This record gives sequence, C-alpha cells and structure tokens, in this order.
Amino acid sequence: MILRRPSGITLAVAVLAITFALFFLLPFAGLVWRAVDDPRAREALGDPAVGMALRLSLVTTAVSVTLSLLFGTPVAYLLARRQIPGGAVLDALLDLPIVLPPTVAGVALLTAFGRRGLLGEPIEAVTGLSLPFTAVAVIVAQTFVAAPLYVRAARTGFEAVDPELEAIARTLGASRVHVFRRITVPLARGPLLAGAVLCWARALGELGATLIFAGSLTGRTQTLPLAVVAAFEGGPLGLPGAIALSLVLLGVALILLIALRLVAKRGLA
Amino acid sequence: MSLEAAFTAHAGRFSLDVAVEASDEIVVLFGASGAGKSLTLRAIAGLTRPTSGRIVLDGEVLFDAAEGIDLPPEARRTGYVVQEMALFPHLSVWENVAFALPGTRADRRSRAEASLATLGLEGVGDRDPGTLSGGQRQRVALARVLVRDVRLLLLDEPFSALDDAIRRSLRLELRRLQLELGRGALFVTHDLREAYLLADRFVVLNAGRVLQAGTPGDVFSRPVSRRVAELLGVRNLYRGRVVATAPDSLEVEVGPLRWRCASWVEGLRVGDAVDVAVRSERVVLRRGDRPAVNALDAVVESEEAYGASHLLQMRPLAGGPLIEVDMPARPYEVLGVATQKQWLLELPAADLHVMRASG
Repeated sequence: MILRRPSGITLAVAVLAITFALFFLLPFAGLVWRAVDDPRAREALGDPAVGMALRLSLVTTAVSVTLSLLFGTPVAYLLARRQIPGGAVLDALLDLPIVLPPTVAGVALLTAFGRRGLLGEPIEAVTGLSLPFTAVAVIVAQTFVAAPLYVRAARTGFEAVDPELEAIARTLGASRVHVFRRITVPLARGPLLAGAVLCWARALGELGATLIFAGSLTGRTQTLPLAVVAAFEGGPLGLPGAIALSLVLLGVALILLIALRLVAKRGLA
Repeated sequence: MSLEAAFTAHAGRFSLDVAVEASDEIVVLFGASGAGKSLTLRAIAGLTRPTSGRIVLDGEVLFDAAEGIDLPPEARRTGYVVQEMALFPHLSVWENVAFALPGTRADRRSRAEASLATLGLEGVGDRDPGTLSGGQRQRVALARVLVRDVRLLLLDEPFSALDDAIRRSLRLELRRLQLELGRGALFVTHDLREAYLLADRFVVLNAGRVLQAGTPGDVFSRPVSRRVAELLGVRNLYRGRVVATAPDSLEVEVGPLRWRCASWVEGLRVGDAVDVAVRSERVVLRRGDRPAVNALDAVVESEEAYGASHLLQMRPLAGGPLIEVDMPARPYEVLGVATQKQWLLELPAADLHVMRASG
C-alpha cells in the first residue's frame, strides 16, 4: 500500500481553515471570558435594564417575524407564480431594504411615518397618535428591513414546488387554500423556515433603522443591540454592561437557532 | 356518464379547436406530440381556461364561455392522471390516495387501502412513494383518482414512462377496471398499438384539430386524409388519379401503374386527384400464378432486418414509386427472400384505400 503524503495544497487549506475558524471563535470566547472574569459584567446581567432590553427585543422581533410571515407568505407565493401585475417592480422594491444601509431605511421611515411624514402627519392630526419613539416604531423598523429576507427565501422555496403537483391536487377535489396548506407549504418548508430564521436574525440585530426611527429610550424602544450601543457610549451600564448585554444577545440567538433546527429536523422525519 | 366538449384554447402561439364526445367507454385521443392532446385534457380538468366553447359533463356545465361558467378543477369530479411526477413526495402512499377525502383518519385510511387493493397494491400504504417502482407509482396514481367518485378519467399518457412489460399489464388492467367500474375515460397517447388496444372510440388529433373520429377499426382501415394515414403508420402513400369507377371499386392510376381499389372515401369522381394508401404489412409477395388484379413485378432495392420482421423497399420493374413491404421473419425465410430478389407483388384491392388528395 502506498501512503499518500499530505501535499502542500492540503496543508495550506488546513492552515487557512483553522485560521478562519479561530477568527470566528475568538471573539465569542473573549466575550464569555470577560463575562466570567469581570464581576461587574456578571453584576450587570442582573440589572433590570438588561431584562427590559431582552424582553423588548423578544416581543418586538416576535411580532415583526409574525407580521413578515403573515404579509410576506402570500406575496412570495404570488411572486413565485408570477400572478401579480407589476410583480417585477415589487420584486425590485423588495430588494431595496436588503441592499440599503439601515440608517437610510430609518430616515426613509421617518419621512413616511414620522410626525412630519407623508402618512405620519395626517395620522397624528386625526388620531393624535404618533408612531416614532414607541415600541410600534421598533416593530415597523424591524419588519421593514427584515421581511424582504423572508419573502426572498419563501419565493425561491415556492418556485421549487412543481405547479403540476398543485394542479393535480386541485383535480383531486382540494380547494386552492387546502392545496396551499397541504402541498405547497409542506414542500417548501425548508426554505420557508430558513427564511423565517434569517428574518428573525435580521430583526434581532436591527440597530440603525430603529435608532433613527424609534430612538433609544430605555424600556420603550431600547432593544438589546441599542442597549449595547448605549452602554458602550457611556451609559450607566458601562462596558461591563455592554459585555453582559452582548452575552445575552448571543445566548438568545443560539437558543432560537437550535430550537428551529430541531423543529426543522423533526418536521423532515 | 356523458361528455360533450367543444371548445377552443390557446397556449402561447398554439391554438386548439376540438370537439370531443364520450360516454361510458374509453375514448383515445391519438396524435403526435404537440397535437394538443394534453391541452384538451387540461381544459376538461379545469387546469386551462378555454377561450371559447362549452364543456358539459353528465348534464352539468363545467365551462361555458358565453354564460361565463368556469367550474374550478376541484368541483369537476374528474380523475386526472399524468405520465409521471404526480405523487405528493411528502405524503405516504395511503395519504396520497386519501388526499382531499373527507372524514376521520381511520375512515380515510380504510377507503385508501381498499382502493389500493383494487389495483393489486397491498401493504404499501405506509411507504414513501419514492420507494415504489414506476409501475407501482402509476397504480397508486390510479387508485388515488378511483377512490373518489369521479365521473370521467382523464389519462395523459399514463404509462409512457414505464417499461414495456409493465405497460402491457397496466393497459390490460385499465381495460378490466374500466369494464368493472363502467367509468368513461379520455386516454391520451402517441403510441398507436396502445391506442388501438384501448380505444372504443378513436380520435385523431393533429396541430390542434380533430382530423378524424370513429371506431378504431374504421379509422385504422379508412383514414380520411393523407395526414391521418401517416399518423396511423401507413408508409406507402401515393399521389394518383381516379380513372374509372365501379360500384365496388375504383380504378386509380399511380404513375405508370393502374390499381383497383376497394376502399375509398365518399364522393370521388373520375379525374379527381387522390392519395392511395396501403399498409406495408398488407403487400403480398407471391410465387406461382399471377393474380388477376394489382399484380406487378418488382425487385428488392434495399432491406432492413428487425429480427421479428424484415422491411423491404421494392422497385416495380414497370417504373413507378417504391413500395415498402413489411414481412414477418418466418415467411421471409420460407420464401427465401434473402437470395431471390425479383418477386411478384400483389396489392389486394381491399387493402388499397383511396382518399381525396391533400397538401
């Protein structure tokens, strides 16, 4: 038997891969290390401000993702089946929030729904309610930047479902809605879940648009990423607080990702 | 069951204009690919909206352009089966069959299993459709439409993707089921043998139009036009002219040859330009006495051996077109065609069919 010696290329690839892995691992390790090492960071974990930011992040992202699924799913399906007049325009528009810097999205949202905005002003005149600097504004900002990611993924998923299967299901006596629920969605489940996770991750990390459109009011609009920035920029929590908040954010992301993976796996079996 | 469908439909630049009738029988829509067979079925199933016309099934109007009636596919109670890729991959076999059945789970399951049993599929209910053979999958697809109270089966080349042997057994099974259940079926195929075997009524489609409809025997032996004859596999087609008529035959001149033909379409007169069709397997190679009519001397110009049969291209000594002869291996060997190249050919008058010239 001839043993093949590792070639130079194999070695180079191994070095690159290990370096790359360390590059991603080290920051997380640093975060955990500082949190364990620094008693003030552990103390900050118990600060009510951290709890408030966590709760606000969970609630707003849950609502944002729900809204994205609710409005995005039918749109994605119609786009996939090319059944909307002007679909190409809508398609291009959906790409904008993905490409746009979030701060620009925030400014754009202000011009539409702000107190002097296109829609914001008449709404305030009639109802006396104003959107900016409320939790609702946080949800609007998150949905604006995150929903397109879901729509895009869902659309690709729906496109992969053979329309012939849907047609046959119809001839078997199933209504459009029944076919959508029992054939289309299950067959596109993978991309749909992936899209929802992407959407949720984007909403959870949302910073720029929220900061400009909703502000950073502790307990009202200050989600976890905003709280990190506030603490880092000399807020009462300070750097240890920023570390504690980052750790919480990391934990939440990990738990939800693992949970979704489990759900997806069980669904496949 | 009774179906009356007459409609036009469009798909891209293709236009379809057909009229099809069916009762409790198998109506075969026969034609080359692109003839509009599938589009016809899809329109009846409600998957394509016709541009005009009317489709009535058992007295119920499924579609009527003038009245603005267009029942959705789920309300038409037709059983649509296609060539392949038709089973839902994420559902088990029984769930596929029970799809859209109402009732409790146990109820639906027992109905599904009963329908599977009718098609000789027992104990596969829990399996994943992907693990079945092609033949089994098509049986499941049939079980899935038969489990419901469908009024009309719409079968779009259901067996075309299968092996010969399985295709044969499924054809016979379809015949048996059709007799047992007494349900009508529109069966689309481009396979002439399959079409002939299954058809109670035979409809020839070409370029979106019905060229001919009738019993398979009638269509097969009396095509109305050159195109129909071509589609039915006639290889010997000759342009000629009627030179005489008699009550029981026509005299037709084909080049320097003169043939008596005992089969013809209505309304031909002396002087008319016609097409004469004779199937390759109907041409006879003779030894001994010269027959009284349609005899000619010819030599084998080329031949192709297909194992079970031989295809000979014969050139008449008196001039005129090549005549193709399809000869089974046994007579080929007994006569010694391999060594003897000049023969007396007979074109039996009953097998010479005359049509009005077209194209």
